[in-house]
Amino acid sequence: MPNLGKSNLPGLLKDFKPDLRIVSVISLILFITVWESVVRAGLVAPLFLPSPSMIVNDFMRLYERGEIWYHIAASGRRVLVGFALAGSIAVPLGILLGASKFLKAVADPMLSILRPLPSMSWIPLSLLWLGITETQKYSIVFMGSFAPTVLYTIEATRSIDPVIIRAALNLGASRTKLMREVILPGSLPMIVSGLKVMLGIAWTTVISAELVAADRGLGYLIMDGREFFRTEQVLLGMALISITVMTIDIAFRSVEKKIIPWTEG
Amino acid sequence: MANTIIEINDLTKIFETKKENVTALQNVNLTIKKGEFVVLVGASGCGKTTLINTIAGFEKPTSGEVLLHGEPVTRIDPRCGMVFQQYALFDWKTVINNVDFGLKMKGMKLKERRELAQQFINMVGLQGFENAYPSQLSGGMKQRVSLARTLANNPEIMLLDEPFAALDAMTRQVLQEELIRIYRESQKTILFITHSIDEALLLSTRVAVMTSRPGKIKQFLENDLPWPRDANVQLLPRYQELKSEVWSTVQEEVMKTAGLLRDDKDKC
Repeated sequence: MPNLGKSNLPGLLKDFKPDLRIVSVISLILFITVWESVVRAGLVAPLFLPSPSMIVNDFMRLYERGEIWYHIAASGRRVLVGFALAGSIAVPLGILLGASKFLKAVADPMLSILRPLPSMSWIPLSLLWLGITETQKYSIVFMGSFAPTVLYTIEATRSIDPVIIRAALNLGASRTKLMREVILPGSLPMIVSGLKVMLGIAWTTVISAELVAADRGLGYLIMDGREFFRTEQVLLGMALISITVMTIDIAFRSVEKKIIPWTEG
Repeated sequence: MANTIIEINDLTKIFETKKENVTALQNVNLTIKKGEFVVLVGASGCGKTTLINTIAGFEKPTSGEVLLHGEPVTRIDPRCGMVFQQYALFDWKTVINNVDFGLKMKGMKLKERRELAQQFINMVGLQGFENAYPSQLSGGMKQRVSLARTLANNPEIMLLDEPFAALDAMTRQVLQEELIRIYRESQKTILFITHSIDEALLLSTRVAVMTSRPGKIKQFLENDLPWPRDANVQLLPRYQELKSEVWSTVQEEVMKTAGLLRDDKDKC
């Protein structure tokens, strides 16, 4: 025997090479089946844990009333507007501060105070200032992601190898051209990965804000379900958040490939 | 003299740190004439890179001067084109956009600079890779791009800072022979830094031997090995004579630092 003294389990596993995507699909089906049977067998009260089929039924109920897309769009718009606003100001500012030690020293104390604040800590103040409005939702996302994005962008511009900057200057680049041709594209991969993190945080923020005070959105859907003891609606809201965020993540990744194609090996 | 490109007079460079002052260069004198291929050879840490960085304008002299065509170098000057050991390519630009970067900085029109860049891409043997990104290239190919990028910018002198040190031995030999060909074709003036005596003798028209602490040029040597050269030149008796001559200068230095700088044992 060649494998003397060893367990023959590794040998068996070596021949077992299934398509891993199929494994994942089967795993998901199994999970849902177990969940469904546990509820149907009466082991858990549907009020505490509704079955997947009940959630699907609730989805159909809201779908027929046209409410699914309405709530997704409401949350989605809040995330994107707040995020785009924060990004379009924070990224250029970060690049500017990354280039000027003086300006960075001016901005540093404020940014350092803002950074540790979780987005959600802005909810009470924003409600006081702006009421339960759309602007209030945008402002929370903005305040929560602004400082981290600025600091992340500064770090991204600093991360460029000084040799690259020397090379550009040695080839005759002026200061403005250095900025446009080297510093901006050079820090773009890190900026994009920072924005990806911020986008996730923006979602958390918006949902939290909707849980506190809103009349629509996926967070609202969850709170509305809770109020009327419709646990299936609570779970539907959670499932929709999950699916929406996953979809946006995939979309973001394809955009990423377009704007930073050189990072693909 | 009219055909003097670089003239270095009593160049001293002292780096001040909190603990101590390090004299990287002391009273270095070096003149490079048009068309010369000067190789500066010395052990790691002897100040070679400081010297080349000062010529390029990345570092300022503590005292003494670097003259380019008789005028002191006061800032980073594109007329001294640098090729870095770490390639220093723009990862976000394709090969052709890397090569035409200097021309773009000069404001040359797209069509014109593309044509010129293509010539230099062909010169370094990278035709077919114009639209590749650096991340898709091997180390040797990256250094070819870097060479083409510097050549395309048409500098008065090319400064090469251990350009082949990060490459494997076989790729290095191929690139050395290509550099000889490019030097002959383009008739550029070159200052090349290395810690390899073999590389110095293969490439140069003149060898300057540097010693460290403080960094000084201890010996100049006219390299009269016949052209055109390839790796076979190492078989000539004259090659062995020159090599032992350089070795005798650096030997003491290497022995002195061998205990401290493990890197240098196999390289010099």
